[in-house]
Amino acid sequence: MLRINCPYCGEREHSEFTYGEDATRTTPDNDAPMEQWNTFVYERINPAGEHLEYWHHAFGCRAWLKVQRNTLTHDISWVGLPHENPQVQS
Amino acid sequence: MSGFRHGQGRLGDATLHFSFDGKPMLGRAGDTVASALLANGVEVVGRSFKYHRPRGVTSSGPEETGALVTIGAGGKADPNARATMEPLTQGLEVFSQNCFPSPKFDLMSINGLAGAVLPGSLFSAGFYYKTFMWPAALWYKFYEPSIRAAAGMGTPPKVADPDIYDRIQSFCDLAVVGGGCAGLAAALSAAQSGLRVVMFDEHNDLGGQLLNEVNNQANADLEQWRVNTIAALYAAGNVKVLTRTVCWGRFDGNTLAAHQSVDGKVRQNYHKVQAKKIIIAAGAIERPLVFGNNDKPNVMLASGARRMLNHYGIATGKMLAVFTNNDSAYQTAFDYIDAGIKVSALVDSRQYPSQELLDGCASRGISVHTQAVVTQAKGWQAVRSIEIADLAANGERVSNRRRVECDVLAHSGGWTPQVQMASHGGKPPIYDKKIAAFIVDDQAPDTYSVGAAEGENGLLVCVAQGVEAAKAACALLGKEAGPVALPPQERAGATNIVPLWSVPAKGKQWVDIQHDVTAADVVQSHQEGFVSVEHLKRYTTLGMANDQGRTSNVNALAIMAKCRGISIAQAGTTRFRAPIAPVSMGGFGGREVGQYFKPVRRTPMQEWHENAGAVFVQAGMYMRPQYYPQAGETIDDAYERETAHVRQKVGICDVTSLGKIEIVGPDAAEFLDRVYINMFSTLKVGKARYGVMLREDGIVYDDGTTSRFADDRFFMTTTTAKAGPVMAYLERCLEIDWPELKVRVSSVSERWGAMAVAGPNARATLTAAFPSVDFSNEAFPFMGVVHAEHNGAKMVLLRISFSGEMAFEVYAESEHATDIWQTIIDAGKAYDIVPYGLETLGALRIEKGHVTGAELDGRVTLGDVHMDGMASKKKWFVGKNLKDREGMVHPDRPQLVGLKSVDPRTPISTGSILVNDANASAGADKQGWVSSMTYSPELGSFIALGFLRGGKERIGQRIYAAYPVKGITVEVEVVSNHFVDPTNERVKG
Repeated sequence: MLRINCPYCGEREHSEFTYGEDATRTTPDNDAPMEQWNTFVYERINPAGEHLEYWHHAFGCRAWLKVQRNTLTHDISWVGLPHENPQVQS
Repeated sequence: MSGFRHGQGRLGDATLHFSFDGKPMLGRAGDTVASALLANGVEVVGRSFKYHRPRGVTSSGPEETGALVTIGAGGKADPNARATMEPLTQGLEVFSQNCFPSPKFDLMSINGLAGAVLPGSLFSAGFYYKTFMWPAALWYKFYEPSIRAAAGMGTPPKVADPDIYDRIQSFCDLAVVGGGCAGLAAALSAAQSGLRVVMFDEHNDLGGQLLNEVNNQANADLEQWRVNTIAALYAAGNVKVLTRTVCWGRFDGNTLAAHQSVDGKVRQNYHKVQAKKIIIAAGAIERPLVFGNNDKPNVMLASGARRMLNHYGIATGKMLAVFTNNDSAYQTAFDYIDAGIKVSALVDSRQYPSQELLDGCASRGISVHTQAVVTQAKGWQAVRSIEIADLAANGERVSNRRRVECDVLAHSGGWTPQVQMASHGGKPPIYDKKIAAFIVDDQAPDTYSVGAAEGENGLLVCVAQGVEAAKAACALLGKEAGPVALPPQERAGATNIVPLWSVPAKGKQWVDIQHDVTAADVVQSHQEGFVSVEHLKRYTTLGMANDQGRTSNVNALAIMAKCRGISIAQAGTTRFRAPIAPVSMGGFGGREVGQYFKPVRRTPMQEWHENAGAVFVQAGMYMRPQYYPQAGETIDDAYERETAHVRQKVGICDVTSLGKIEIVGPDAAEFLDRVYINMFSTLKVGKARYGVMLREDGIVYDDGTTSRFADDRFFMTTTTAKAGPVMAYLERCLEIDWPELKVRVSSVSERWGAMAVAGPNARATLTAAFPSVDFSNEAFPFMGVVHAEHNGAKMVLLRISFSGEMAFEVYAESEHATDIWQTIIDAGKAYDIVPYGLETLGALRIEKGHVTGAELDGRVTLGDVHMDGMASKKKWFVGKNLKDREGMVHPDRPQLVGLKSVDPRTPISTGSILVNDANASAGADKQGWVSSMTYSPELGSFIALGFLRGGKERIGQRIYAAYPVKGITVEVEVVSNHFVDPTNERVKG
C-alpha cells in the first residue's frame, strides 16, 4: 500500500486519502476563451514517471495536499501543501 | 493400504481422534491431515477436477496437488484444503471431494475413459472455448449441467461462516518471508540489531527442508541447531514469529499480506504488514516428473515421501521406487532403506550420476538404473508396480521396457525456487540453466531474495546468504545485525540436474495434476496455434487450480518451448500475481460482515420513528423512515395516505440526512458567488436562497438552500447523496483554487437534526408549538430564516418548501432534536399532524416538479432542467466557461417534462425509455427517459418526471414509456413538470 507523509499528520496509509486530480494544470483566467477552458478540463498529459497530483486527507485532517508520485513505480517522493513544489534535483 | 505408521519422527505421543468421510481414525499430535490419512492406510483421498481420477497425497507441503479435502462441516466447512497443510486436531472431520459415492469407487471416473476413447474429449485443452461454439440449445440442456456435475472441487458451504476473522495491520523494520534455514538465520541475525522483525512461515513447524532430515543420533547436532535457532527467535523480544501464516502477496510500499490460521475464537487473522525491508527466503519446491499415470495415488514427490518418513514417522509404502533427474532424490532412497523399508529400484534419467551417489546405492544394495525412465505407473487405483525403460541417448525414445515392483514411487524433476513474492515487485523471472528453473533477480535496497528461493541448494550457503542479507538490510536502517552460528553439518549443494521434461512414451502424462492438464493438452494447444505462455495457460487452464501452477509451470513451459523449437529462456514465463496460495474471503472481510459491513447512520429521531412503527430504508448510509404504515396498510396505501394528508392537513418528515455546511469568513459571500450559479452576495441576512452548483465542465453538480445568518456567516444545505463530495469540493476550492479567500467551511451535518413541517396547517402547528416565534407571513415570509430557542434548545427555522405546500424546515441541535420533534407532534395533534416518510417526500416533490439526484444524474445541463435563467450574467462562477458549449445548449437535448399515465392506474416504470411509436425498437426511437415516478393522490393518477427531446414544446402530446426488459409499454401524456400549484401560491400563502 502507498504511504503518504501528510505534513500535518505524519505518514499515513493511502486508504486515509482520496485522490483528487492532476496538480500540474494551471487554471485559466475567468475570462479566458472557451477553447482554453476546454483544454484545461479535458486534456491530460498522463506521463510515465514522476507526476504531481492532489490528494485529500479525507479520513484525517482533511487537508488537500500535493503529492509527487511515480506513475511507473508508485513511489511517492515528495508531499507538500497545495502551493508548494518539490525542489528540482540538480 | 500402503502407508503406515513406522516411527516417531518429530511427533509427540498424544493420540488424536478424527474422521475421514465419517469413518473414525486415529492420528498423533503434530500430524497433518495428510500424514494421518497415510498412517491409516488411506491411498485414494479424492477425485480429480475434471476426469475424476483417483488422487492421493503427493507431497508434504504447500505444493500438494492430490490430497485436497474439505475440513470441517456445516458453516465451518473449508473446501479444497491441502491435507498436507492442515494440522490434525482432536475431533476433526475430514471429507473427500468430487466423488460419488466414495473416493475409491466413483461413478464419474468414466470421464477419464471417455477422454481416452473419444476424439477431442469433453475436457481436453480449450474445452471452455470449444463447448461454447456448439449449438446454444445443447449447451443449456446438456453440456452445462453435465460439466457442472462432473467438474469441480469441494462444495462451498451453504450456510454462513460462524467463525470470526480479524484483520491486523502492523509495522516492522524487517520482514522475513519463510522460516527455513535461510529465513531462520536471517531473522536471528537481524534480531540482534534490536530492530523489529517479523517472520512468516506457512507451516506449523519451522525449519523448512531441515524437517526432511532424519531425527537420529547422527543428526542430533543439526537438529539442535534448528531447535536452538527457533528458541532464540521466540526468546527475542523484538521478533514476531508467525507460523501457519501464508504470506501471499507483496504490494507497493513494501506491504506484505498474509493469512494466519489460529486456534481459538478467531479462525484466521489477515495481516497487513508494512515492512521497511523484506528478506524473501521462501525456499524451493520439488516439481514432478512427467510420465504416464504420474497422478496415481502413491506417486509422491521424493522430498514429500522423505519428510513423511523422517518428520511424521510415516512410511509411505512397504516398497519404494525412486525416479529422478537430479541428485536430491537419492537421499529419500537412502533414508527409506536405512529405516528398514525396501527400495526396489532407483531410476535415474541421467547417464552419469556421481560416483558418491552410486556408491551409496551399492553399499545399501539399491539397484540403480541409469539413463532410464519410468514410462508409467501401474495399478488399478494406487501404484502397485512401475514400468521402466532405457532412454535413448537423444532422449527421444525408450527401449527395453521392464516391470519393477513397488507400492510407492518417489520422484523428483528438480527444484523450483518460490519466486512469487520476488516477482510481485515487478521484475520478470529469468531462466537459470544451472538449476533448470526460473529465478528473480531482486536484490536491495528494499528486498533481498536469499537461499533456495534464489536458486541455491546448499544448507551452509543458504544460511550464509540469510545472514548476509540481514546485515545489509539492517545496515541500511542504521543498525548492526549479529552473527549466527553456522549449522554443524552441510547438506546437499548442487543437485546436478539434467532436465527431463517429459518421458517419450505413450500414456496419460499429467503436467498440472490439480487441474487435470496433460502434456498432450500442452502439445495440442501449440498445434491449435497458441504460442505465448499467457495463451497456453488460458487455453489449457494450466496453473489455474489452487496451487497456482507451483508444480506445473516450469514443466509446461519446457514442453511448449520444445514444440516451438525455442529455448525455455526464450519462451519465458508469466509474472506471478497475488495471492500465491488460496486464502479465505473471511480474512479480507474481517469483522466487517453482516450488519457491520458498512457503517449505519441514524438520525436523532430514530427511536421515535421505531416507536411509531416506521418501516426503514437505507438512503446512502442513513436509515430513514420510508413510510409509517397503519394497521393493514401496504406501502402503496401508506404513502398515498401520507401524501394526500400533507396536501390537506399537515405532516412532518425527518430530513436530517441533508448535508449541512457552515461557511464563515469575510469573503464567504464572494466564495458562494463563485461556487453557485446565482448571486449570494446580494442575499439579505435572515433570508434563504435556492442555489445550484455546476461542475467545471458545465454539468449540474448539486443543489440546495443556503441561508445567511450574518454578513460573514452562511448555512448551506446539500443533497443527502452529495453531502460528502460537496464538502470535499469546497475545501478543495479554498485550499487549491482560491487560497486568497478568507473563508472557512465546516461540516455541521451531525450538529443539527432537521425536520420538514409541510401542509396547509403547518403555520398553525408551529405557532402552537413555539408561541415565542411569529410565524405570520409578514414576520416570517417565504424564504425567511429565524433563529429561536425552545426549552434551552437552539433552533434555526427556514421557511422553504420541497413539497409545494406551505412548509418550514426546523433545524434543532441534535441532542434536543427528538424533544423538538415531539413538541411539534404534540402541538400538531389539534391540526391532525402525521409523520411522513421518504416515499411521500418523493411523491410530493415529483408532484411539485422539483429535481433531485434521480434527475441531477451528472449528465444534465441547466437548460435540461429549465434553470438556465438562474445563471447570473453579472459574475463568474464555476462551470460558466463551458456551460454554453454547442452540445450543452443543443435544442435536441432531452429536457425535463412531466408525464402522466393516459390510463391513470397504470404505473410508469423509472428507467423507461420514451419513444414516439409503441412498436418501434427503443434503440431506434429514443426520445428520452423516465427519471422518477409516483402515484399522485392529488391528480388521481400515476405521474412521472422524465427527460424528453423537444421538452415543454411537446406538452399535450401522447408518447410511450417503454421498458423492454420487462416487456412493458405505457402510453403517457406529456405535461408540465409542475403538476401541483405551478404558480407557487401555496408556498407563499
